[in-house]
Amino acid sequence: MATRDSLIQVTDLKKHYKMGVIKALDGVTVDINRGDVMVVIGPSGSGKSTFLRSLNLLEEPTGGAIVFDGVDITKKKYQDAGGKTVRLDIDSLRQKMGMVFQHFNLFPHMTILDNMILAPVKVKGMSRQEATKKALALLDRVGLKDRADAYPIQLSGGQKQRVAIVRALAMEPEVMLFDEPTSALDPEMVGEVLDVMKELAREGMTMVCVTHEMGFAREVGNRVLFMADGMLLEQGSPEEIFGSPQHPRLKEFLAKVL
Amino acid sequence: MESFIQADNFAKILPYAKLFRQGMQVTVLLSLFTVAIGFCIALVLALMRLSNVRPFRALGIDKDGHQRETGLLAWISYFNPLDFLATAYVEILRSTPVIVQVFIIYYGVFGLVKLPSFQLLGFIKFDRFFPGVVALGMNSGAYLCEIIRSGVQSIDGGQTEAARSLGLSQAQNLRYIILPQALKNILPAIANEFVVIIKESAITYTIGVQDIMSAVNAVKGATFVIIEPLLVATGIYFCLCFPTSKIIAYFERRMSRGDKR
Repeated sequence: MATRDSLIQVTDLKKHYKMGVIKALDGVTVDINRGDVMVVIGPSGSGKSTFLRSLNLLEEPTGGAIVFDGVDITKKKYQDAGGKTVRLDIDSLRQKMGMVFQHFNLFPHMTILDNMILAPVKVKGMSRQEATKKALALLDRVGLKDRADAYPIQLSGGQKQRVAIVRALAMEPEVMLFDEPTSALDPEMVGEVLDVMKELAREGMTMVCVTHEMGFAREVGNRVLFMADGMLLEQGSPEEIFGSPQHPRLKEFLAKVL
Repeated sequence: MESFIQADNFAKILPYAKLFRQGMQVTVLLSLFTVAIGFCIALVLALMRLSNVRPFRALGIDKDGHQRETGLLAWISYFNPLDFLATAYVEILRSTPVIVQVFIIYYGVFGLVKLPSFQLLGFIKFDRFFPGVVALGMNSGAYLCEIIRSGVQSIDGGQTEAARSLGLSQAQNLRYIILPQALKNILPAIANEFVVIIKESAITYTIGVQDIMSAVNAVKGATFVIIEPLLVATGIYFCLCFPTSKIIAYFERRMSRGDKR
């Protein structure tokens, strides 16, 4: 495998509730490299989503470290290059991580175009014209340019998810996080969303995808993580994970889903 | 046997039409000022209740720099004094009768603080009117606060997650994502509260505010006619309340554009 520079280093990540009785994440260690298309699979309740949501701190981990761009983002404060203690700027951190949700989470009171340009204009300070131009180009890429003035409710599930993906892309993130992006879709709409994700992967976008689409994991992923009970039980290339699974839990899981 | 309503009684109270007109003006002014004050108080209270001010935050961070999971220190670190004060205010105001609050403000607070006794518009006694506005405003502030807060909390958490993961700050999220959607959801409740304020303002006649009810009382005292003045009051109150809710219903329809297919 070609040498890649590491983008996110996750070390012994823990998320415990109720004095440690519930361990949503119980010591996950993994390196995410630039250009990786990492697919996280596992039974429900295994901590896949918690892991993904911890990466941009939608969940606050209770232990371990996530080093992103050289900064441990699980700490509220850190030392900068000059040795000064600074508070973690969570908003600028999240700009660099695009997130796509199972339930799309488009803003229903705004048109598709306004959904797309809100963050570039308000957060990045881009001009409205420039943001609009860029948003229309992105919408064109996913074949939805003509729906720019529609409201989210007028779109099908697959269209909504495609908008959600390009809305995140409009912020030019370094990594895209996908939290079961096709689980809430009608079967005939899964393909159009996966196609967009495949194209993104081909362009070299770093992606972390929690999904139940084993076909996608096999075809597009370059690394597959198998999680159960909040732990990372096995990881490897798609060939290794699907061709010669080692852990009994993984074998059992694959027997059920394949 | 006399009938319930008598036409000549209306003729008897006709010379007092001016009292009713002035009463209506007072009720309208009282309600408008109450709404304005109430809404300002409510916004401040709601922001206090939704705020994340944690002066003891540092106590909840353990020596590794992580948030503590449990224990007294973790609990203290989550203590929000603004939320506590606002909640206390709301619960006290909602758990006591309006008339008690009006009396406490009038006899208590403004018994100590002397107001100038001039007349607004030539007939409204300011030293009666102002305490009434303050008391009603404080009361409706508590109710409107709960309406605003519940509206904000009714918005799906996924909206905040999407906004924050796009890099919007908490304040931007509130301003651009949550409040516009919340406002739409709470409009019926706000309309209801406005109507309640118009009706509840009648209670201020007990401290001498010359509103519609006080006109009824004055006419009763002068003519010994009671039912007919009450019917006139009923008509005036209806004419104030019904259009108010209709006007807000119009804005409700206009704001629901995002819901149409």
